[in-house]
Amino acid sequence: MDGVSVGADRRNDPSTEVRCGVHSVIVCPACDLAHRRGAVPARGRTLCLRCHATLQRSERAGVDTAIALAVCALVLLFLSNAYPLVAMHINGQTRETTLPGAALGLYAQGYVTLAALVFLTTVAAPLAQVSALLYLLIPLWRKRRAPGHGVLIRLVTRVRAWSFVEVFMLGALVALVRLAKFSHIVPGVAIWSCALLMICLAALTSVASPQQLWRWAEQSRQ
Amino acid sequence: MALGRAEPAVNSPATGRSLGLLVCLHCRATVRQVEGPHLRCPRCLAPLHQRKPNSLGLTTVLVIAAALLYIPANVLPVMDTRTFFDDESDTIMSGVLVLLQSGSWPIAILVFIASIVVPLLKILALGVLLYSAWRRSPRHRRQRSGLFRMVEFIGRWSMLDIYAISLLATLVHIQSFASIIVGWGAWAFGAVVVLTLIAARTFDERLIWDAQPHDRV
Repeated sequence: MDGVSVGADRRNDPSTEVRCGVHSVIVCPACDLAHRRGAVPARGRTLCLRCHATLQRSERAGVDTAIALAVCALVLLFLSNAYPLVAMHINGQTRETTLPGAALGLYAQGYVTLAALVFLTTVAAPLAQVSALLYLLIPLWRKRRAPGHGVLIRLVTRVRAWSFVEVFMLGALVALVRLAKFSHIVPGVAIWSCALLMICLAALTSVASPQQLWRWAEQSRQ
Repeated sequence: MALGRAEPAVNSPATGRSLGLLVCLHCRATVRQVEGPHLRCPRCLAPLHQRKPNSLGLTTVLVIAAALLYIPANVLPVMDTRTFFDDESDTIMSGVLVLLQSGSWPIAILVFIASIVVPLLKILALGVLLYSAWRRSPRHRRQRSGLFRMVEFIGRWSMLDIYAISLLATLVHIQSFASIIVGWGAWAFGAVVVLTLIAARTFDERLIWDAQPHDRV
């Protein structure tokens, strides 16, 4: 179907989903080369002929898998934030910190922007990503669409780009190695849940891609 | 793992632009271009553009800003360790050296790559990509495309040191023994990382493949 100008009645058009897109052509988002659309591969992916960007991925995972992963990620996210990441014993004193505590430490020293950056990338972004996905997926599982479906899929994509749990994990490791030189370090619950969260989020990202979310949405009622 | 490749629509390279088609970068829908001031994707309502607007100018500004901030990020101390006996300022590089001296060389190499090599490589790579896109150079397109994908992939890993520093500063804050104070170098470094991340997003990789002058919007 044709692109629409702002102001056209796009929101209330019930047939939008049916007519959406020029289905016979895939345009590579990375080099603009047009390809005739073939069937989605059963395994692996389809690459652009010219620039080798991924055009299509196999879609074997179902909504259930995505929901399971999202619930799992939510639980791990709770554990990672509620329990201490590391405890440090030194001179009879014990200090421990949680994941949000890392951002708070920067805030306490007056680095508001840095604290905000750390908080957004390690706490807010993963939480927003996972909860928005759950909000979208649960209705999709019942072949329905959540209100604000389109806006939220875009939000998920945006937010996902700023969720750096895996990087934080390695950063925490570096900090632990540095501290282990002059104090006794006890890894907390959160460090393990964080490691699992990292794996869980990676799987969730590949299962619930925006294309896949739209495909499920097109199979469901309005 | 390429198990199947899509067939090109015609023999000569037919692009979305030559066919009057737009691809939605959010949901990947293919949409026929129509006349209108603000085109939106009919499926997800994301704004549609043939190429990202002001891509080259915006990315150039961001990369220059990142390159300028890269200097204070490496010269200014990122953290200040205060104990009874001494007061020690560490820049990113001296932090790596401390790690190396204390024998944890795998971690030292990791920090060196993530904090020094990656940001520099990103700034240089984006510079090369911008320059060749300005000139619309037809050379090494596939390699440049690969370079851009690498920049996108490695970008987030430079945040590593920021996280390590923030944890250290939070944990080592015992008044009686020692404290770690974050320095302005960390702020500059964080700014470099964020600016290059945004620059990678404002750069439109399709510009690598647009060579002919009439291809320009």
